[in-house]
Amino acid sequence: MRFLLHLGLALSLSLAGTSSFAEPDAMKVLERMGAAAKQLNYEGVFAYQTGQNLQSIRIIHRSDGQGEVERLISLNGAAREVIRTNDLVTCIFPEGKRVHVNRRPLGRGFPSDLLRRLSSATPYYEVVSGQQGRVADRIAQELVIKPIDSYRYGFRLWVDKDSDLLLKSELVAGDGNVLETFAFSTVELDKIIPDSLLQPQISGKEMTWNRTEPESAVNMAAKKNWSRWQVAWLPEGFSLVAQQNRLKAANGAAVEQRVYSDGLSSVSVFIEKIRARHSHLHGGSKMGAVNAFGTILSAHFVTVVGEVPAKTVEKIGASISPTDEKPGQAALWDGEKDD
Amino acid sequence: MTVNQNELLSALVDGELQGQELDRALKFLESNEQARVQFQQYQFSSDVLHGSAHENNRVDLIDRISSALDDEPTYQIDQAPKQKAQVIAFPKQFWKQAAGLAMAASIGALAVVGVISQPQNQLVPPMVAAVDVEAPVQTMSIAAKGNRWTVEEAEVADRLNTYLVDHNEYAGASGVFSYARVVSYDAGQ
Repeated sequence: MRFLLHLGLALSLSLAGTSSFAEPDAMKVLERMGAAAKQLNYEGVFAYQTGQNLQSIRIIHRSDGQGEVERLISLNGAAREVIRTNDLVTCIFPEGKRVHVNRRPLGRGFPSDLLRRLSSATPYYEVVSGQQGRVADRIAQELVIKPIDSYRYGFRLWVDKDSDLLLKSELVAGDGNVLETFAFSTVELDKIIPDSLLQPQISGKEMTWNRTEPESAVNMAAKKNWSRWQVAWLPEGFSLVAQQNRLKAANGAAVEQRVYSDGLSSVSVFIEKIRARHSHLHGGSKMGAVNAFGTILSAHFVTVVGEVPAKTVEKIGASISPTDEKPGQAALWDGEKDD
Repeated sequence: MTVNQNELLSALVDGELQGQELDRALKFLESNEQARVQFQQYQFSSDVLHGSAHENNRVDLIDRISSALDDEPTYQIDQAPKQKAQVIAFPKQFWKQAAGLAMAASIGALAVVGVISQPQNQLVPPMVAAVDVEAPVQTMSIAAKGNRWTVEEAEVADRLNTYLVDHNEYAGASGVFSYARVVSYDAGQ
C-alpha cells in the first residue's frame, strides 16, 4: 500500500511538473503547422545552412485527391533532386550518375506519425511562443522549443501566420549554437502545380539505379515480436513509433529500421545483415546536425542515425544487442539467405 | 499447403492483409516451416518484380524496360537540359509499366533489376560469427569538409546516406525541409 501511495505521489508530481512546459497556443500552432505541410500547395526557394555550407533549394509540393507529391532540387552545384510521391522516394545524384529509389513503407503517403505524437513531446520540451517576425516577406510566429535534457536538441520555428506553413527552422544545441537552419527566401502558396514541375529534369539513362523495397507490409505491433534485437537504453520519452524491413537491391540484404521518437526528435536504428566483406562505420560520424553511430554485432551492421546529439546515438547504439545472444544465430528470420 | 494458404501468403507479400487476416497469416508463418519457405519464394518473386535484386542478372530486364520506355510517350520538360545525359521524363505510370513488363516476362527469363552502387567484387566465403572481428571498420574521423559524412570511405558514406533517406521520413520538427539534407549532400566540396 505504501508503495502504491509513493507511486501515485510520484506520478502526480511528474504530471504536475510536466504539464506546465507546453503553452497551449504554441502547441496548437505546431499541430496546425504539421497539417499545413501536408495539405498546402506551394512552390518556393529555401536556404539550408549547416556549418560553413549554404545551399539554395527549390521545393515544390502538391497535395490533392491523389495524395502528396514533392520535389526538391538543389540550385547550387550538381542538380540533385529528391522526388517524393505516395509510395516512392527517388533521389537523383547526377554527379555520381546514381538514382536511389526507396519504396515507402506500406506505400501510404508521407509519414505523419510524429506530428500526431506532438502531445507526447510536451513533458520533454518547453514550448512557448516567441516574437512575430518576417520570413520570405510573410508574417511569421516564432515558436521556441527547449529540451529538458542534453539528449535532444531544441528548435526555433517560424510559422506563417496566414497559412501555418513552416517558413524557417533552426536546430539549436544545448549551448545555444544553431546547428542547422532552413529558411524560405521566397514562397508562393495556393498555386496550381502542373505535373511538369514535378518531373525530374535529369535523364534516367546512363544512371546507376539503386533500389530498396519494403519486405512486406505488416503492422508494427506484429513485427515487434519478430525482431531479434533489443535496445536497452533510450532517452526518456523516446518510444518505438515505426518499424520496417527493407531489401537492399545492391546486395539483397535485409535492413531492419526501427524509429524511436519523443514526438519531436527522432532516431532510427538500422540493422543490416552483413552479406559480404564491407567496411562499416565504427564509432561516430556526423553530417550537419545529423549524428550517426555504427558498430558490428553478430554479423550485422548496426547503425543509429538521428538529428540528436552525438552522445545520444552513441548511448543508444551501445545498448543494442541481439535478444538470443547466440553468436552467428542472430539473423532475422524474415527471408534472408546466408551467402 | 492448400491453395487458400498459398493465396494468404501471396497476399501477405503484397501487403494486402489487415486485421484478422494479417494475424492469421503471421501465426501461420510462425508455426509452419514450409510456409516460411514459400513466403520467401513469394518475397523473392515480389522483389524481382519490384526491381530489388542482384547486379548479375540486371541487364536483361533493364534493357527490356528501356526498350519499353522508348516506346512510351514522354513528357517534355520546359527547361533546357543542363546535364550531359539526355533528358527524358519519367512517365507517371513508370513503375506500373515496369512491374507490368516484368510480370509479362517469363519467370525463367526474369532478370533482376537491382543495380549496385557499392562494389560487389569483394565477396568472401559465407559469413560466420567471426565477422565481428574480421570486418573492416571505419574509424571515426571528425573533419567535416562540406556537407558530407565525416567518414573516410565512400562505401560507408553511401550506406549512411541510404539510411539518412529512410530516416528523413520521420525527421520530426524540420518537417518540410528535412530532405534538404539529402539534396545538399556533398555540396561545398
